[in-house]
Amino acid sequence: MKVRPSKRSQKAALIFMLPAAGLVLNGCAEKQVEAQVFSTPDECAAFYNPPEQCQAAFAEAEQLHPKVAPRYANKQECEVDFGAGQCETAPEQHQQGSFFMPMMMGFMAGQMLNRGGLAPAAGQAASQQTAAASGRNTVPTQPLYKSRDDRNTFRTATNTAVASQPGTTTIRPSAVQPKPATLARRGGFGAQAAQRSANRSYGG
Amino acid sequence: MKRHAIAPRPGWQDFANSVGFAFHTIDNEPYWDESAYYQFSLQQIEQNLETPTEELHQMALDLVPDILASEQLLQQLAIPERFWDYIAASWRSGEPHLYGRMDFSYDGNGPAKLLELNYDTPTSLFETGFFQWVWLEDQLMRGQLPQGADQFNSLQDKLEQAFAQLPLAQPFYFSSVTASIEDKGTVDYLMDIALQAGLNCRYIQLEQLGDIDGQLVDTDGFPINGLFKLYPWEFMLQEEFAGTILTSKTQWLEPGWKLLLSNKGILPLLWQKYQGHPNLLPAFFADKQPVEAGWVKKPLFSREGANIELVTANGQRLSEDGPYTDSGYIRQALAPLPKFGDNYTLIGSWVVGDSAAGICVREDNSLITKDSSRFLPHIILD
Repeated sequence: MKVRPSKRSQKAALIFMLPAAGLVLNGCAEKQVEAQVFSTPDECAAFYNPPEQCQAAFAEAEQLHPKVAPRYANKQECEVDFGAGQCETAPEQHQQGSFFMPMMMGFMAGQMLNRGGLAPAAGQAASQQTAAASGRNTVPTQPLYKSRDDRNTFRTATNTAVASQPGTTTIRPSAVQPKPATLARRGGFGAQAAQRSANRSYGG
Repeated sequence: MKRHAIAPRPGWQDFANSVGFAFHTIDNEPYWDESAYYQFSLQQIEQNLETPTEELHQMALDLVPDILASEQLLQQLAIPERFWDYIAASWRSGEPHLYGRMDFSYDGNGPAKLLELNYDTPTSLFETGFFQWVWLEDQLMRGQLPQGADQFNSLQDKLEQAFAQLPLAQPFYFSSVTASIEDKGTVDYLMDIALQAGLNCRYIQLEQLGDIDGQLVDTDGFPINGLFKLYPWEFMLQEEFAGTILTSKTQWLEPGWKLLLSNKGILPLLWQKYQGHPNLLPAFFADKQPVEAGWVKKPLFSREGANIELVTANGQRLSEDGPYTDSGYIRQALAPLPKFGDNYTLIGSWVVGDSAAGICVREDNSLITKDSSRFLPHIILD
């Protein structure tokens, strides 16, 4: 008997639209490491850190600041996120003027600080060496920021909260890898949809 | 072609919700309606729908070079001059296309009449390719449909093949308007299939698309080299990032040249070139003259039945409001949708790549099918 080929799909399966079917990924494979967070080099030195290392870490973060700070097309938009008087002009220009970025409110030092003669526990030193050797698992020294509605929390340029007070914190290195600031203009598509809001769908 | 009542599957709403089909009921009105289904014979499907779909598709593709070669036609289709070269280049470099849907007036007898091509942003994809397919399997398993009942619905298989075979940039991004859960549902389904085909897929809200020095970028500022957008080309050409289209190294789905085919102006052009073809209705570019009895007036650019005006043979006037009042119009001879009970029924016929890939059936209480028109499943059974 000849079987007529079916006119329909052999299967109609879904993978990610099905709830709870996918793999749950989490960060437990990644070790947390220590880093130190301060508002100023003086504050850093007050935590039994060598002043010259504090100054060097601050300078390194300050140099990175204009490269990674989040960008805004104008001052108003920046101040909505970071508060009045908390924004400065960024190095780049766009057609309508300067980009703006938040001011640096602190810095995070990676593992280079030799904490005032307080030798770290042997195990920790070993794990830090291993981490440093593998490169990606270190916390780079970088600038920190504070948002308008949460003045206690230090955040990275990509808005990862890292500490709510000065001193030592623990952190997943992958969460704090600095990225170049994006100077993207956004919202350039979608205006017609907003205007023609009678529609439930923009397909047909 | 018959309409049969059937008992809905108990608890189908819970299943729908669990697979992300959040828009099965809209404002307490059914959108997915499984209280009935349509039955077609294999001959009706193959001779009257599948074969004409592929033929009409080729006829439409054959018109693209004609249009690109004529400034007059590009003007008639209201294509902004600034994008002529871009659209021509997208065609000449063979930028691949993924899918489209034709809408037909067909009652089971005689040739199906082409009402329009939805060749840029067709939706009701998930309902057709997945939910309707599962409905058939379920009802067969429950013994509610005769064994041997089939369905014209190879949509998911063909989309998966297309995603596996098309030369697409990776990662490939998918985008829709944030406020539309229906469009997000369609895009989620396409991404699901693309994922199954092995593609590296990412979603980005349309409004979040960025521009750095003329290159389209994602939220992290990485260049977007391939993008499916469930958003009309004619909108994008009028918006702030229109210029980005010209400079960005981005492969688009659908490609730019699809703008020519999703334009209602393609209907008079098809009629000019293939006058008298059994699946075509007489159609002409229209000026401001009022609609005569037996004709429909449609904007060059419109979606979901919006801004359609028609007058039946006996003079009854029907019109649908909408937001598409800013383009030219065409008029097309009215092929009234067939009536099954109290329902006016329209058939959507899918094209993936260049193959016919299945149908969907929509019902409305009026002659104009809209986004709220009910979706009913179908079977093939001789």
